Amino acid sequence: MKKVLHHGLLRVCGFTLAVLTLLSGCSTGHAAVSSKAGSAIASQAASAAPKVLRFGQANSGEPLDMQVSTGSLSASIADEVTESLLRFDDKNKEQPVLLEEFPTVSADGTVYSFTLKKGIHFTDGSELHSSDVKFTFERMFTPATGAKSYAYFNMIVGAKAMLKGTASELSGFQTVDDYHFKITLEYPYAPFVENLGTSYADIFPKNACKTAGSNWGVNVLVGTGPYILKSNDQNTQAVLVKNKNYHGGKVNLDEIDIIFYSDSKTKLLAYENGDIDLCDLPADLLSQYSGSYAKQITTYHPLGTSFLSINLKNEYLKNEKVREAISLAINRADLVKYVLNGAGIPATSYLNNSIPGHDSSLGIYEYNPAKAKTLLSEAGYAGGVTIDGGEVRQSEKALVEAIQSYLAEVGIKLKFKVVDASTWSADRVGGKLPFTAITWNALYPDADFQAYNYFYSTNSVSKSVNYSNSKFDGLLDQARKESVADKRAALYRQADYILSRQDYACIPLYYPQSQFIAKPYVKKMAVGNLIYHFWNVDIDPVDKASEKP
Amino acid sequence: MKKYLIKRVLLAIGIIFALSCVTFVILNVIPGDPVALMLGDNADAATVKAVRANLGMDKPLPQQYLSWVLNLLTGDLGISFFQKKPVLTLLTTAFQYTVRLATISYLVAVVLGIGIGIFAAVNRGKIADHALMALAITGISAPSFWVAILLQIYVGLQFKVFPVSGLAGPISYILPCIALGTRYAAGIARITRTSMLEILNQDFIRTAEAKGLSPLRTVFIHALRNAMLPILTVIGTNIGELLTGSMLTETVFNIPGIGKLLIDSITKRDLPIVQGCVIYIAVVCVTIYLVVDILYAVIDPHIRLEGN
Repeated sequence: MKKVLHHGLLRVCGFTLAVLTLLSGCSTGHAAVSSKAGSAIASQAASAAPKVLRFGQANSGEPLDMQVSTGSLSASIADEVTESLLRFDDKNKEQPVLLEEFPTVSADGTVYSFTLKKGIHFTDGSELHSSDVKFTFERMFTPATGAKSYAYFNMIVGAKAMLKGTASELSGFQTVDDYHFKITLEYPYAPFVENLGTSYADIFPKNACKTAGSNWGVNVLVGTGPYILKSNDQNTQAVLVKNKNYHGGKVNLDEIDIIFYSDSKTKLLAYENGDIDLCDLPADLLSQYSGSYAKQITTYHPLGTSFLSINLKNEYLKNEKVREAISLAINRADLVKYVLNGAGIPATSYLNNSIPGHDSSLGIYEYNPAKAKTLLSEAGYAGGVTIDGGEVRQSEKALVEAIQSYLAEVGIKLKFKVVDASTWSADRVGGKLPFTAITWNALYPDADFQAYNYFYSTNSVSKSVNYSNSKFDGLLDQARKESVADKRAALYRQADYILSRQDYACIPLYYPQSQFIAKPYVKKMAVGNLIYHFWNVDIDPVDKASEKP
Repeated sequence: MKKYLIKRVLLAIGIIFALSCVTFVILNVIPGDPVALMLGDNADAATVKAVRANLGMDKPLPQQYLSWVLNLLTGDLGISFFQKKPVLTLLTTAFQYTVRLATISYLVAVVLGIGIGIFAAVNRGKIADHALMALAITGISAPSFWVAILLQIYVGLQFKVFPVSGLAGPISYILPCIALGTRYAAGIARITRTSMLEILNQDFIRTAEAKGLSPLRTVFIHALRNAMLPILTVIGTNIGELLTGSMLTETVFNIPGIGKLLIDSITKRDLPIVQGCVIYIAVVCVTIYLVVDILYAVIDPHIRLEGN
């Protein structure tokens, strides 16, 4: 009986197996056919899906009105919505956007003539006219606006009177007609056109801006840009949608969601999890991601220089030999290699290596601890010195700790504390910080921003540098008025040498490298300098569909 | 009861104003200047002065405080220095996130904590009791931000089902609520066990058992109700903590609640928001403690508030 049962069971199993095999064969064939059809359908469906880019960045916590905000985080959102007359592309080349061509300048370098493109409309439907440009600049100089970056434009005739509250109109702005206007400067100022290409000169529609009042840049922002601000809660995310009538041609993305993260590690985990498509990759996380995500990482070099900013009024640092000894004691190549994980280029002078005026014939600063000791001895500090009271932010802590150990080897003891950004800013502006570390970035490739704003005698006080060299100041003054590019570059080359090779008024360390990480389906993403722009970015829907598990 | 309530409310108002005064002074004497941070490196002295005047920071401190208190009485907590939005709006928005997170986390914690505590007490000395208490100690010892990071890496990234940050939909609450709730569940489990053991040894429980009441009825109706006082104290304190925001968990999971708002504001020295958050925290804590005290009397009739 048992045997019969066993036999029967075997037969049933064999039959079931045969049927299953047959069915599986049929279904495999069917699956092969349906797989091709399904893939075509999926591909079509993917192409029809809206193209949404999810970009993760820190929250600026500031309005999107670039007259009252200064940060690149606000600009990366605002610049998609509002446009300036000209702008810098991802190769840092300036291009006319709202203008027919670059403005022409008078022989004395003070009067600029502009021609607006016709038929450009703000997203509220109004057409861009000269009156909007005039309104924008007058708003900037009206004290009640609280504009923070007016210093880039206050050489326009009448700006200072408006800032003082003694005038309500900008006398240096002359409206010719709806599409033509002239701007007169108090003195020739070579980087004026470059300044017009920054986010600080975004053009606002007169009526919409006036109607929005204090909500401008908070809940309301209207511009001529490729995207329209749909929402911005300043807390979790800002949502931009395509401007279908964009004057600059086809806009690739349907929507951009800018999602705010206060913690870089959380942001990168969100990237790994597929919650976002693109974000920056801080240098301290580079080694962690450069293995498995190497193909998704793009590096670029912002127009900045990282340096040890030193106070020339300090008891020890006022001595030129001590400053040179500091420079000689630091091994910049190793610093970049080991502390920055290679994310930088060892500095050869103060001016960034992509800025006209940078002297490419100079080599990396010499690393020579023995010579540093000799210089220290010549300065009368053979027994070493202790430079106390420095302050650094958390972001520069590892760097300054490395410098601290280099300097300790030659007898210079650096003492510093790590403070928050607010404390650091307040103490630095007071002009009394003995030393700190900073990266000073130019908004565009011009030495005026990097050199004048930081080291010109009147500006260096609020940077806790207190540098004053009449020859250096004179070269910068001269360069500001020089309109011939080569001559300007030569003037800056001289100034840079005096600053960082002769006076050692700062200790340049490296030219930083930044990087972003993007999913393979994110196309044409590039960053030129500090601000993330999505003007050309596209998403390949088929690639994106295949990314999903 | 009425007299007691009036006394407690007056005391609460006093505490809130004392706290606001201390905070105001501290915020204005610690290093750091919001204007310097706001204006960046290129600000000239005239701009700094103008912005200070615009924000009312050029006035003497007592005048600034008085003006702030007078505005507070009309429900105006001021405008954020950086975001340019009313502080009340920012607090209300952040509160919505915090309260959602707190409610779900705590419901999980209470159900789990009391359940585990009762089970451990009933099975005192057995392997299950030891195992659960060991787990509870681990839960208490593990900081919630650490649990949060582990959940992000080993659950979020591993299974790719739960978002590792933000609160985009119901599913995104799961990981933060586990991270936040675990610690509280462990604490509640321990206090429930201890309290239940004390009650389970009392004569009236033995009487209830002798009368033939079912074990479930004995434990849940007779023992648990009498064991609730210390559990309620812990729950009350925890709710206060949760409603005032979990700074680290909110930061790790990128949840824009009260805790994150406070941390971000302190970093930037956005004084109106910090002041607003402190007032909010003070009000929540004082109210919760008051409610817990009243609940004592409701649960245990032996306690007479007037007598205390």
